[in-house]
Amino acid sequence: MLRKVICSAREGGFLLSFHAMASPCEVLIDVYDQVLATLVGNKVAEEAWRIEDKYSRYQKTSVCGQLNLNAGQSSQIDQETFLLLQFAEQCYQISDGLFDITSGVLRKVWRFDCSGNIPSQVAINKVLPDVGWHKVSFDEQNFIMHKNMEIDFGGIGKEYAVDKALLIASELTKAPLLINFGGDLAVNGPRENNQAWHVGIEHPSLAEDKSMVVSITQGAIATSGDAERFLLKNGKRYSHILNVKTGWPVENPPKSVTVAAPKCIQAGLLSTLALLQGSSASEFLQGQEIKHWIIA
Amino acid sequence: MQLTQSNPKSKSKSKSKSKSKSKSKSKSKSKSKSKSKSKSNRKNVKALLTTATCALLGSVVPSPQALAAQPDEWQFDTAIMYYGESARVTAVEGIIAGQKLFAYDQLLNLKFTVDVLTGASPNGAVAQPNVQTFTRPSGRGQYQINANETPLDDTFKDTRVQFTGQWTQPIFENYVWSIGGNASKEYDYLSLSINSNLARDFNQKNTTVSAGLSFAFDQIEPEGGIPTPLSTMQVADVAPIRGYDDGYVHPDIQSRLGENDDKTTVDLLLGLTQVINRRMLVQLNYSYSAADGYMTDPFKVVSVVNDQGDTQRAIYENRPDSRTKHAIFAQTKYHFAQSILDSSYRFMTDDWQIDSHTFDFRYHVALNDGHFIEPHMRYYTQSAAEFYRPYVIENDVPTDLISADYRIGEMDAYTLGLKYGMPINNGDSLSFRLEYYQQSPKSSGTQAVGVLNDVELYEQVDAVIAQITYSF
Repeated sequence: MLRKVICSAREGGFLLSFHAMASPCEVLIDVYDQVLATLVGNKVAEEAWRIEDKYSRYQKTSVCGQLNLNAGQSSQIDQETFLLLQFAEQCYQISDGLFDITSGVLRKVWRFDCSGNIPSQVAINKVLPDVGWHKVSFDEQNFIMHKNMEIDFGGIGKEYAVDKALLIASELTKAPLLINFGGDLAVNGPRENNQAWHVGIEHPSLAEDKSMVVSITQGAIATSGDAERFLLKNGKRYSHILNVKTGWPVENPPKSVTVAAPKCIQAGLLSTLALLQGSSASEFLQGQEIKHWIIA
Repeated sequence: MQLTQSNPKSKSKSKSKSKSKSKSKSKSKSKSKSKSKSKSNRKNVKALLTTATCALLGSVVPSPQALAAQPDEWQFDTAIMYYGESARVTAVEGIIAGQKLFAYDQLLNLKFTVDVLTGASPNGAVAQPNVQTFTRPSGRGQYQINANETPLDDTFKDTRVQFTGQWTQPIFENYVWSIGGNASKEYDYLSLSINSNLARDFNQKNTTVSAGLSFAFDQIEPEGGIPTPLSTMQVADVAPIRGYDDGYVHPDIQSRLGENDDKTTVDLLLGLTQVINRRMLVQLNYSYSAADGYMTDPFKVVSVVNDQGDTQRAIYENRPDSRTKHAIFAQTKYHFAQSILDSSYRFMTDDWQIDSHTFDFRYHVALNDGHFIEPHMRYYTQSAAEFYRPYVIENDVPTDLISADYRIGEMDAYTLGLKYGMPINNGDSLSFRLEYYQQSPKSSGTQAVGVLNDVELYEQVDAVIAQITYSF
């Protein structure tokens, strides 16, 4: 996909759109100054592309790709990677091991192509030893994990990029703005006269007819779901949300969970954690006393 | 990113061992926790996550590397423009403009322009049914104009280099201050100016009031010197073949005044910008300009004719040594869903009795994928200066002010143009502009006499403007 930022006029200011992290991305900015709007758009896009290049597991040359390639050996890491790994570690602790960025290996046996190919327990048992954040070790300079293990920042990368991009944009302008990377979004505050932003959430996990509009004046919103990716066998639906402890899909998770939180990465993690609770997702979010929208 | 290969294997191993030990400890802890999974435990998730997020995002904010990397990029516009009048002046202009935003909203704009002008420019005299001979402004030779043609001096050739800089920054809350300068130099002309502007935002930045002041100094040093106003242009009986180098001085040069002359201009600008609503912006400006000094065009003459319209001689023009202008400018920008309409009107009046009205419309239409088109329409009309005459009759030659320069005569002009822009990779953009410009000088009531009824006194000027801009 060509890396370019497109600037177009919209009501109240400008829309800057581009493509990053396999998603349509946009910045809405309420300012009439096109030079400033373009500058902000370019800086936000640069940050999105930077994070994509650094943490995409699909790119062999990325930090993530290199860590996976060098599994079994110690690799040097930089400060940002350390902070992200530390965040993943804390998420693992907070979720009692349910959120685990090493779970991607399970995709070797689980292929969520809407078919009926359910793997055998034998096959699952074969890959399960290669999963488990507790088998990873790192400090501020080095990272090491067992051979055949893989890490994947996919579960937090896009939300992290939204938060980072908003920090950069906020240093450039105080004009009201909204950053939306494929349905994960954050604002720097309300629009003029304390008006809320109204955003249509278009997320891969939402069926087209189910796209919804939310209002937001501050903080962030993130969505997780499994609407498109699942397996179906003998009338039983197998979600692509996997329990890393058993290697089997979580039972009856909602189709999609949208959560509001001060930061996008918090919203993202909370929505993912809610999905991992399966049928008790709603109960979990109510217990957290946070604003959320669930599509069952 | 660098990878530690196998070098201190034992070391990294022991490290990872000790780490995984501590990890297994925490694991056992979390296990015991998960056994007693209660609602009170779950409630902690939000709080714990906040702490984790602060560590991730909070600590990254002021890293010096990030600060240095963030606002320090220049944004450049480069453009090349062609302006061509049919059978008259051709200009090619190259522009490079840079803009840089600093950490505290300070903005630096720098612009460098080079113009090259060539071609022919009207010397002010009227066409005649016979061949006319004129002395070149430099005194270096003479030129002849065919019958029935508007006299043009075809030695018009100049290169202008211009440098502009402007610094803008917030000073107190709601105040923005700006200071700038401009210098331009061509072979026989120097222009220097400084300006400063202060703007104050009110009403949650919906209203901006500004005041600015600028001071300019211009000096002209025409080759051959400044002609004596109202003196008759001397034409040698035989066109001299020799130049200065041979010690020959054209008779016209002998009557020149001095080498150079100058003028000073003070401009005052008061502005009001008002955001009407999310879609509409209005701007009102008043400007006052007072110029003092040499404002005559040393290259322009006026034909002196007899009552049959036959040219007897040409005299050098003379303009006042002061000029005061008042101008009012009003502009609205209206954002439609996919387009912006920018309309403006300007009224200018001065004590030379020139009144002008300018109507300008630009309609910026966003197309798909960041492409846009922008049609442009401009209409301009002005009345003549009180001392403007297309020519004078021998017995009626004024003793003070006169000019036959069509640019201060009565005229209409319009521009029709189209701009097309497109993004190219990584936020760079390319745009093309093509405009047609027509100037139609008009009679301001002077009745043509004799042979002047058969020649074109108010020749129309057609021009084409083409520009390519690349922004990166």
